[in-house]
Amino acid sequence: MMTPAVIARVMLIAFGAFLVAVPWLIPVILNKFWVSVIAEIMIWSLFAASVNLLFGYIGLLSFGQALYFGFGMYGVAIGVATLGLSFWPAFGLGIVASIAIALVSGIFAVRLTWHYFAIITVVFSLIFYFFAVSVKPLTGGDDGINFALPPTFSIGGVTGSFSDANFQYFFILATVALCFFLMHRVIRSPLGKAFVAIRDNDVRAALIGLNVYQLRLIAFVMAGFLAGVAGALFAFFGRYASASYMFYHVSGEAVVWAIVGGAGTLFGPVVGTTLFIVIREIVSTHWEHHAFIVGAVAILVVIFAPKGLVGLWNAELARWSERTNDASVKTKLRTEP
Amino acid sequence: MDTLLLLAMNGLIWGLIIALIALGLSIIFGLLDIINIAHGDFFMVGTVLAWFTLELTGNFWVAFLAVPLIGFILGALIQRAVIQPIHNVAALSIVATFGLSLILQEGVRITFGTTPRRILPPIQSTFHMFGIDYEIYRLFAALVSLLALAGFFIFLHRTKLGTWMRAVRHDRETAIAMGVPAQRVYVLTFGIGFALAALGGVVAAPITTVEFRTGVDILPFCFMAVIIGGLGNLPGTAAAAVLLAFLEGIIQSFADPTVARISSLVLMSAVLLVRPQGLFKGLTK
Repeated sequence: MMTPAVIARVMLIAFGAFLVAVPWLIPVILNKFWVSVIAEIMIWSLFAASVNLLFGYIGLLSFGQALYFGFGMYGVAIGVATLGLSFWPAFGLGIVASIAIALVSGIFAVRLTWHYFAIITVVFSLIFYFFAVSVKPLTGGDDGINFALPPTFSIGGVTGSFSDANFQYFFILATVALCFFLMHRVIRSPLGKAFVAIRDNDVRAALIGLNVYQLRLIAFVMAGFLAGVAGALFAFFGRYASASYMFYHVSGEAVVWAIVGGAGTLFGPVVGTTLFIVIREIVSTHWEHHAFIVGAVAILVVIFAPKGLVGLWNAELARWSERTNDASVKTKLRTEP
Repeated sequence: MDTLLLLAMNGLIWGLIIALIALGLSIIFGLLDIINIAHGDFFMVGTVLAWFTLELTGNFWVAFLAVPLIGFILGALIQRAVIQPIHNVAALSIVATFGLSLILQEGVRITFGTTPRRILPPIQSTFHMFGIDYEIYRLFAALVSLLALAGFFIFLHRTKLGTWMRAVRHDRETAIAMGVPAQRVYVLTFGIGFALAALGGVVAAPITTVEFRTGVDILPFCFMAVIIGGLGNLPGTAAAAVLLAFLEGIIQSFADPTVARISSLVLMSAVLLVRPQGLFKGLTK
């Protein structure tokens, strides 16, 4: 029977199959350029997922995730360009740097909630943005750092490198998929349930014995990790890092992508990011003012689908299955989607 | 010493202009519970409208009346079209006002273009004071800002509409039960918020550059004033704006502008963590 769960599984498999087929399929039906657009969408989806982990699952709206993205990015760029590291140590440096800064800023930030949390996260990211702009010798400021890409690995005679477009695509796909899988496991775990309990009512969560502060800090560091991986991947993808990616507009875009796609759903950020980047890519070839359309779409979605596109889809699916099941099953147990 | 005085004066005047803009942000935030990401762009639209007014009429003074009026109408329309349908849900309001910010910026890019422009001050002369030549227009800007601030507080405390606005902010349910038309108060508040930012834009237009990006730079500063002054504390917001700009002006006299900006951000983090109710809690309600 076609229950929502079966439909979701079929769609997930179809989506996975599509992503694997992209490097061969897309050049045939569109052109090669769109393969790299899809790779970019995956990276930004991961970044939006870090906003979603905080806002959608533990109820903290961070407006400063660009800071951790930026640390991931600069970790890689400084690692390769200044310290002369090879691929994996640089990747590791980017991730460790973003986790470390997420931990340090999280210790302060998660003491606050709601408006105050949103504002202190943006303040922290602005402090480091201005810092990165001013210490030009280290960061290159707004111009950024360009670097030559080291090979990812070479075992025997086989070398894998981002200069091979297919290798680059699959490396990004594998890393992003792994992160989403980890996030899915966390959300399904007792830890994830505790996050949701805090999101829904933090006082009640504290009363049943959850350490709210500690759990918020854990979620914050996890979100910093996701944003850091996205930033590190983006540095490898663009062979470049720049302070402009730490500005609050970048954080704001991720918030928009996550909420428009559907906060509190695993694939919401993917849907939102895809929508906006595809609009950008299509419209910008015809009309330079694509941001106008992006703004209008963001407003229309929050007016007509306040739970985001995935939320809208889930609601429609639930209504549809209720109608088809009503005849046979009278009593239905509502479980969390 | 001369540069210190000059930068301190500039900071003070800039702070008064920021106070106007931040007040708009604060009433929208306090009354509608909306984090208005587009507020910096309301200011930017004000500067651009001032430029257009000058182009069309050849008279800059017209802008002081016309632009806040246009701002008020735009704000009221935006509230009805964009803000009302999302029922003051804070997270959605961030997305909606972010979208609004993009639309305003792109709208200005389409009509006004991307080149930064300058407006000559309508009062060109300078005067001599404590060994420096100071532009008279800047003093005039300070005067206009002060008058507008005073006018706003008189409006808030001495008129029926102002009382309604305070009542809805204080206790929405009771205010509605007492017959205050809350929906109209929301429209009014958003309109006034836009008008204050737009007036700030007109006043600042001859001091700063006119371009589509200025709003993005000014927004964090306005939020700082609102937070350091204390959420919902309007006189506190105005005082914090002046204090912050004054301090940045002084720091700029011996260090890089970026250092000044970082110092005020660090100050703001400290305020958020130690006194989230703002620096001036207890002075006024």
